[in-house]
Parts: sequence; C-alpha cells; structure tokens
Amino acid sequence: MTEIELLSWARGPGLQIATIIFVAGVVIRIFEILLLGRKANLAESKGPEMSSGLRTVITRTLPDRTTFKRSSVTIVLGYIFHIGLFIVCFLSAPHILFLRDIIGFGWPSLPTQVIDAVAVVTIIALLATLVNRLTNKVMRYLTNFEDLLTWFLTFLPLVTGYIAFHRIGMTAPTLLAVHILSVELLLVVFPFTKLMHAFTLFIARWYNGAISGYRGVAS
Amino acid sequence: MSASIEKGINALKREVDSTVAAFFSSCVHCGLCAEACLFYTETGDPKRTPINKTEPLRRIWKSEFTLMGRVGKILGLSKKVDDKFLEEWQELVYDSCTMCGRCSMVCPVGNDIALMIRKTREGMAAAGQAPEGLIGATNRSVTIGSPMGVKWPALKAQIKHVEEDSGLKVPVDVEDVEYMLLLSSMEIMNFPEFIEAVAKIFEKAGATWTISSEAFEATNSGIQIGVSDIAAVLVQRIVDVADKLRVKTVISPECGHAYTAIRWDGPNLVGKAFNFKVRHILEVLDDLSKEGRLKMSSKESQRLTYHDPCQIARRGGVIDEPRSLINMISDNFVEMPDAGKMNWCCGAGGGVSANERADEIRLKVFERKKAQLDEVKPDAIISACSNCRIHLEDGLEEYNMDIPLLSLTETLAEHLAED
Amino acid sequence: MMEIRSDTDFRKVLEALDDVQQRQVAALFVQHVLPLSEDKRLERVIKVAADADATEEELAAALKTAHAVTFDSHARCGAEGHWSDQAGYFVARAAVAASTPASQARAGGAAWQAAMSARMAYTSMLIEDAPDQSAHTECEWQYQSLSDYPNV
Repeated sequence: MTEIELLSWARGPGLQIATIIFVAGVVIRIFEILLLGRKANLAESKGPEMSSGLRTVITRTLPDRTTFKRSSVTIVLGYIFHIGLFIVCFLSAPHILFLRDIIGFGWPSLPTQVIDAVAVVTIIALLATLVNRLTNKVMRYLTNFEDLLTWFLTFLPLVTGYIAFHRIGMTAPTLLAVHILSVELLLVVFPFTKLMHAFTLFIARWYNGAISGYRGVAS
Repeated sequence: MSASIEKGINALKREVDSTVAAFFSSCVHCGLCAEACLFYTETGDPKRTPINKTEPLRRIWKSEFTLMGRVGKILGLSKKVDDKFLEEWQELVYDSCTMCGRCSMVCPVGNDIALMIRKTREGMAAAGQAPEGLIGATNRSVTIGSPMGVKWPALKAQIKHVEEDSGLKVPVDVEDVEYMLLLSSMEIMNFPEFIEAVAKIFEKAGATWTISSEAFEATNSGIQIGVSDIAAVLVQRIVDVADKLRVKTVISPECGHAYTAIRWDGPNLVGKAFNFKVRHILEVLDDLSKEGRLKMSSKESQRLTYHDPCQIARRGGVIDEPRSLINMISDNFVEMPDAGKMNWCCGAGGGVSANERADEIRLKVFERKKAQLDEVKPDAIISACSNCRIHLEDGLEEYNMDIPLLSLTETLAEHLAED
Repeated sequence: MMEIRSDTDFRKVLEALDDVQQRQVAALFVQHVLPLSEDKRLERVIKVAADADATEEELAAALKTAHAVTFDSHARCGAEGHWSDQAGYFVARAAVAASTPASQARAGGAAWQAAMSARMAYTSMLIEDAPDQSAHTECEWQYQSLSDYPNV
C-alpha cells in the first residue's frame, strides 16, 4: 500500500468504520445505563431534583478548598490536559476545517503558535499525569491495564498530530495517516473504556446532585 | 438469615440501577475520593480508597450489565465474586467505612460512592459476610425490638425516673398528638437525660407529644448491616404505630443513621409514602424557635464548636438548624475548619462502633477530628448524635484531650426560660 | 435541720452550698450507690472528692479516672446492653459530677448532677432486678442525707 492509499483509507473507510463503532458504542453504553432506570423516591423531598442535578453538573467541575489542597497535583494536571486537549482538538485550524466538512459549519481558530504551545504543554502534562499515576500511592493501587491503555490512546493522537504538523521524521502523507489512524484507534476503543466518562459524567453528576438536592444539600 | 454466595451475588444484581451504572462507567481512577475519606487519610492505606470498597458491586455491574462485561464473562475473563474475595473485602466495607458520604461530595465525575457502599453491603450481608457485632445487633432488633436489647419495661423505668426528677409527665401511647418521639437504644441506656430535655422543652413550647410503648426504637440495624428487608421490618413497626396513634410528625432523636433510615430510606423501604412527616429533633426545635415557642433565658459562656453528624448534615440536610439553635444559647460559637456539609466524620457511625474488630481503626481515624479540634481549640463540643458523642468522648480520652461533649437538645433545655 | 420533701426543696438547699460542700455532698450520694459499680477505681475518686483539702491536681486526676471509668462501662452501640452494667456506668457519671470543678459543673451544680446520676444507677439496677419497684427510695435517702448534712 502506498502512503497515499493509506491516507485515503484512513480518511475514508477507516474514518467511517471508526465513527460508526464510536457512535454506536457510545449510544449503547448510554442506553445500557439509562434503561436500568431507578426507583422513584417516596420520601418527602426537601429540594428539587432537576435543578439540583443540573447545578452539580456544573459545580462539581470545581473542587472545594480542602480537596484541592490535598490533591493539587492530580487536579491541576487534570485541568491542564483536559483544557489543552479541548483547545488542540476544537480550536486548531486543520481540525476545524475537518469538522466543517462533516457538520457543515466551522468557527474561528486560534493562531498556530498558540495551538503549538498548548500542544506542547498538554503533552508534558500528560506525561506528568502518567508519572503521577505511577507514583501516587492511591493511584498506583487503583491503576489497571485499562488506565494505561487509555492514557496511551489519548497521548498518541496528540504526539502524532504534533509530529505530523511539523513534518518530523516521515513524509507528510504518512505522518498524517498515522495521526488519523491513531485517532480512529482512540474512537474505536473509547466506548469500551473509562473514556466514556466524557459523556456519562453528566449523568453521574446529575444523579449525585439530584439525590443530594432531594435531601436539601447542595452537592 | 441463611446466607450464601449465590444470595450475595443476586443481592448485588438487584442493587444495580442506572445510578450505579452511571457511576461505575464514569470512574477514572483519579484517587480524589481517598483524600476525602478519613479511613484513608489517617491510615495511609490505599486499599481504603472509597471506590475500591465497592469492588464487589463493580464486578457484578461489569459482568452482568455491560455488553463487554457479558462477553468477557462468556469468555471466562471476568473477575470472580466468591466467598474468598468477599471475606477479604469485609474489613473494607464494614470496618473502614461509616457511609459518611464525604467521598460522594468530592468525586469529580459525580459518583455517590457512599450510596454504592450501602448497596455493596446488601451483597455482603446476603453472602454472610457481615461482622459478628452487626449480626447480633440486627437479630436483637428484629426479635426484641432494639439492637441493644432494650425492652419497654426498661424504657418505662427510665421514663418514670425522668418524671420523678423533672416533675413533668412523659406521655405514652397518646393519640392525635403533634409529635411521636423515637429514641435510640444508646440514648435510653447512656443518655436518658435526653428524654427529660425533650419533656421540658415541649412543655414550655406547649407541644403535644408521645412515646410509643410498641415502637420506640429509632436505631435501624438493617441499614447498618445492609439488609433492606430487615430495615423495612423495623421501619414498618414505626409506621404502624404512627398511623395507629395518628401522629402528625415522627421525631428522629439525636442519632445519625436513625434519621437516614426513617426520614430518607423509610418510605422507599416499605414501598409507600408516609401519612406523617418525619423530622429530626433539631428541625423540630428550630421550627419551635422560629414560631417563637422556644425562649432561652441564659447562655453558655464557654467557647463552643459544633460537630456535624454526617447522616444529619451532609446526608440529611440538617445543617443550618443546629447553628440557629446554638446561636440562641451562645455568643462564643466558633466553627471548626470544614464545618457544615464537608465536616469530617467522627469515625464511628454506620455500624463501625458496633463492630469490636474495628475498635483499633476507629480510634486511629479519630485523629482527623482531633486535627480539627486542635485548630479550633474549643472549651466544649456540641453535637446531635449519641453515637458521635460516645465515640468522640472515647477518642478525646485516648488522646488526653479534656473537652466535654454536649448534646444540643440537652443544652437548650438547660437554658430554657422558666417563663 | 430543714425538712426536704421535694426536688424543689432539694435543689434549693443544694444550690446554697458552697463549692467544697457541693463536692462533699456529691461524694456522699455517690458513696451510697458505689456497690452498684464493679470498678474499684471509683473508691479512690470519691475519697478525693469528699476531702475538703483536696488539691486541684488531685481533683483533676480524680476526674480523669472517673471519665475513664465511664468510657469503660458505657453500653457499646449495637452491643447487647446489660442494665446491671449500666448501673456501674451511672455511678461513674455521678463520680464525674462529684469531681468536676465548680466552674464546669452542668446545670444545678455538682451535687444535683451527682444525685441524678446516682438515682439513674439505682434505676438501672432495678430494671434488671426489680422492674416494678420505683427508685423513689434512693430519692428519699438523698433528701434525708442532705437534711442530716452538717451546716444545712
């Protein structure tokens, strides 16, 4: 297979297959959760469920002071790489163009130098999270194969994207194909791992806020 | 209660609902829950990480309720839930957790881990993996009516003593009153002056109330051990009597899990909404105060702080009421760090203090509360849960700290205006 | 020697006592129910409380011991409760009241608190042994003792 063929495949069938598996997987996982349902609460309520749930969806983004003091490294690194990934994925020109072709509209991008810097910071942050995961006593105890796999699958597109953009090492088409394939790998594995938290955390946080809000406590 | 691993697994299956599935799907192994849990912070043992305690439930969720998990099970790849595994987890689920819910407040993805541990206990208990002390307490609750074996004649004698000392009447089995007071065995045995305090306050406030000779026990061992069927039986006794006497409000006394059991779990356990309200004694006192029916004539001069019992505050919603009440009898009230819904657990609730095997760790984790007290340096601590009270006293004695524990209700009664 | 017939009279007389007298009267009440406790440490505590010349340090040590006895004797949450053991718990609480410094005494003063706990100890004993009897006899004994107390 020539590098152009590889790139075509990655951009074409590869992307289609990955997207189908991703979307189907995510939908199945979410239905798996919601179809289980939960029993209605018969106790006299002290607060509203819906708004309490929505509030927690938003407020749980910020840790309380004591938690922050105790886990600052994990929290700060988490913020950096999540925000970094968001900026690189959705505010870089090539990605916006790519998405525009699919969804029909785009939006302003950030300057290349900014994206570049953010990518580097995010890569460093991700490496630091791996070190943290392997050295922090609690995280080390909890960490399993899936944690390491998902770290790797998240790291790969970032690094291959950076390399592809700067045309390091291989020819442009190959680098781009590798990058796109790494994203497809991530998409395909995504629904079967904890990466689903990207979607399910909205459900979990809502439940948390609703359950607590029912009892009159803002969680 | 005949137990078996099959019953345990089935119990765990019954506990999986959309909340459990959402929570396990979202956990990213960040470890933040550990730093919120005093059983981890004071022991440094990572196996006490809250989400780790729920592993039995997680394995069942994974292998029975997820596509990949079911595939894995068919391929023989799923992690086992057997007697050996549950026995290993017993100490984590029962000795190292009070279901205080602090973990549920900090999880970044929103997991209510304390709820998951409660559900995990259902499986543990059905599989015969609950601690001996709790099994005994539960059996006594079912057969005698009190986890500590307190029978009506004993309470009757306590009531008689209270009446003789105070000159007040303690109404028993009276119909159509505003309030029916429940009592925890701990209060009846260790702090009977609580009954006198309530009698005094209600007399001054002009509130009509009663205690039932048929169902006076507030403590719900079923909730602590994790057997909803038993918890339901215990709640139903209260419901039957409250309906018979046609009371308007059932009062949960100064006991943490008792409140959770009757206020929030009760109707769901028995499958029916109540015909009466349920309120914690502090809520009732706060209402009386706001209605102008509670007047104080003196104040405490010593420096006071308040320990929030977890099931009443964070998991119960009664956070502001104790503070309004304390401000009635104190101009020298200081909050400890993290006070309110994020306060640290005393370490003894949820069955931990009924479990002798957990004595050592219970005293160890008191160091968290000690750290809070060292910062606020109070002359006395007020609280509203007799189990917290006894355990805090134990801990203070262990660490040679001379700080008296006061019950909020009893303290209010002491400063009540004569007229 | 005034006649004490009710708790109102009883409390009035108690409140009129000075700090040392309160302590000594409290010790008297505890002494009467001491046989209900199996913990020998309380004997020493009461001896100190009853001593008019007891120093602050001695009283502090006595209080600490009394507290320790309450922790060892209280009913554990969820454990099977034995009222005969609870009697010992309340005797210990009475001892705590007797050795608590006046400034920290709960409402009514040391002697009243000790009297209450002593009566509770008696009630606890009755629950186990004689559920139909009233603890009023203990009450009356206390009234009589206070009436007989010098300088009342």
